[in-house]
Amino acid sequence: MPRRSLERRPRTAVAVTVLLFAWLYLPILAVTLFSFNDKKSLSAFSGFSLRWYHDLAHDQALLESLVASLQIATLATLGSLVLGTMLALGLERVRSRRGRVIGAVTLLPLVTPEIVTGVAALLLFTGIGLKLSLTTVVLAEITFSIAYVTVIVRGRLAGLSTEVEEAARDLGCTPWQALRLVTLPALVPALLGAGLLVFALVFDDFVLAFFTTGVDPQPLPVRVYSSIRFGVSPAINAIGTLMLLVSALLIVAALVLLRLFGRGTSSLELITGGERR
Amino acid sequence: MTATTTASKPLSRAGTPSVSLRGLTKVFGGTTVVDHLDLDVAGGEFFSLLGPSGCGKTTTLRMIAGFSDPTDGSVLVGGEDVTSTPPHKRDVNTVFQSYALFEHLDVRGNVGFGLRRKGLDRRTLDRRVSEMLELVELADKGREKPSRLSGGQRQRVALARALINEPKVLLLDEPLAALDLQLRHAMQAELKALQREVGITFLFVTHDQDEALSMSDRVAIMNNGVLEQCGTPEDVYERPTSVFAAGFIGTSNLMSGVWSHGSVVVAPSVAIPAPAHHGSAEGDTVSVAVRPEKIWLGDHTDEMFRLPGTIEATTYHGATTRYRVAIAPGLALTVLEQNLPRMRAEDRWDPGDRVEVGWLPEHTVVLT
Repeated sequence: MPRRSLERRPRTAVAVTVLLFAWLYLPILAVTLFSFNDKKSLSAFSGFSLRWYHDLAHDQALLESLVASLQIATLATLGSLVLGTMLALGLERVRSRRGRVIGAVTLLPLVTPEIVTGVAALLLFTGIGLKLSLTTVVLAEITFSIAYVTVIVRGRLAGLSTEVEEAARDLGCTPWQALRLVTLPALVPALLGAGLLVFALVFDDFVLAFFTTGVDPQPLPVRVYSSIRFGVSPAINAIGTLMLLVSALLIVAALVLLRLFGRGTSSLELITGGERR
Repeated sequence: MTATTTASKPLSRAGTPSVSLRGLTKVFGGTTVVDHLDLDVAGGEFFSLLGPSGCGKTTTLRMIAGFSDPTDGSVLVGGEDVTSTPPHKRDVNTVFQSYALFEHLDVRGNVGFGLRRKGLDRRTLDRRVSEMLELVELADKGREKPSRLSGGQRQRVALARALINEPKVLLLDEPLAALDLQLRHAMQAELKALQREVGITFLFVTHDQDEALSMSDRVAIMNNGVLEQCGTPEDVYERPTSVFAAGFIGTSNLMSGVWSHGSVVVAPSVAIPAPAHHGSAEGDTVSVAVRPEKIWLGDHTDEMFRLPGTIEATTYHGATTRYRVAIAPGLALTVLEQNLPRMRAEDRWDPGDRVEVGWLPEHTVVLT
């Protein structure tokens, strides 16, 4: 068989790419499509309608769950950003072996099965007599999210010369001012990326929310799960589409914010909080 | 004659030194990095700390800036003891090796950073920043982000950001090391001119002897945390006082021998007459050094000390020719000769040629 010339299109690669994208996005596309179906069927699209969105808008319990999940995600994002950044800044200053051990321990939540974290949180909360509510969900989600923030912020800090903070001190900043005026602004891309990631993870997190939530209102993923047990409604598709929209809007908002900060940060670096060249 | 005038210059400039170090010592985990350093830098002086990497020069600078606490001794800035003063309250500013610019601020934001901390009103601040940008020739770059500037421009922003605060002393930590050779030479001249213009004391840390010699009023040579020698560039080059100083700055023909009747016997057949050296007596072992460019292979005068020798090797270096001349078994001198216009290729000595080396007695330096 003659060797193919390099200029020819690598057909196999193109085919694999198309298949991969189909595998990734067809289910999502189906969810979006059937959320606009005018019949209850989940297999045949018969006509365009907004009836499921209409149903959704009048499902008081579901709306409450949506608000609850947005609250949980917002509070957990803020809480883990503050604690995770403080942890990252602290670890950056402890350069001993003890510091490396602590640094490794902070990564454990990333590899701990979520179900273990969930059960542990439940045992802790009931053990100390804390009533299960949205607060307990927020606390559990913060515990789980700190590691993500710390990893991303530490990555950015590693690329930031210690001389930058010293320069701020040299130019008249107290340690606190140096942090506020120089170090934190330098961390903005990492903080945005970490915040976005944590928000997305927490917003649709089921396992932790399931273990630590009270009765009412339930976080959205828990509500969706329990409603599915009574039969699948196309309204679930509408929720899924809305959640997709929220995620997409968040990413766009973060990109716009970064542009406003005047940084040429790519979307990849936004997620990884990576160092800019 | 120039040596005496430059040597007395720092003393005539100001009463209290800009920086004084008294027994400054830093120990890192059992290793003494800076060892009882005593130093006075006069007001308006361009002073260089020169030494190989790891000699303690950067640690010394960090102790003056306040980023590192001395184990012992004290730091005085403008006559005031600042040993336990935090960096933001010291009247010193630093130009960092990495420049350490604030990437989230534009050039004006960087340059005005220090003055803003001092609470200057907006009008004065804007005017001072504009003047400073004018001085470093970056007037048109005020609104650029540092990431969009070239290496040389970033360097000037770092300089402007520190200078605008008019510190008692400006600390520069190898600020030219990151630039390529050509730009470095241009910046050396620029930096020197700038220092003359603003009249601020510069304490410059470098491992580049050429940089230190060409820019400084005085140079201090450091090695293993100890001050080896301190003086004008001419002093430290022409009259090194230690074997390390003679070897670190330029090249030297170093020979060790024994004092005998006003000469140093470096080989059974070679006794080099040397100026009297205090602290060394008849029979003591000492080192002598002669700079390669001080040795002549011809045109000798009567005052010169002369020796027969044999050319071992000839290396052509463009502007100069370098010879190895054997003067005794196992003892050879390096001789550097300018390739002057009147010299032609056939005038060069070839290996095996018998020659006579000669130099003036005052060019023999006795070292301890």
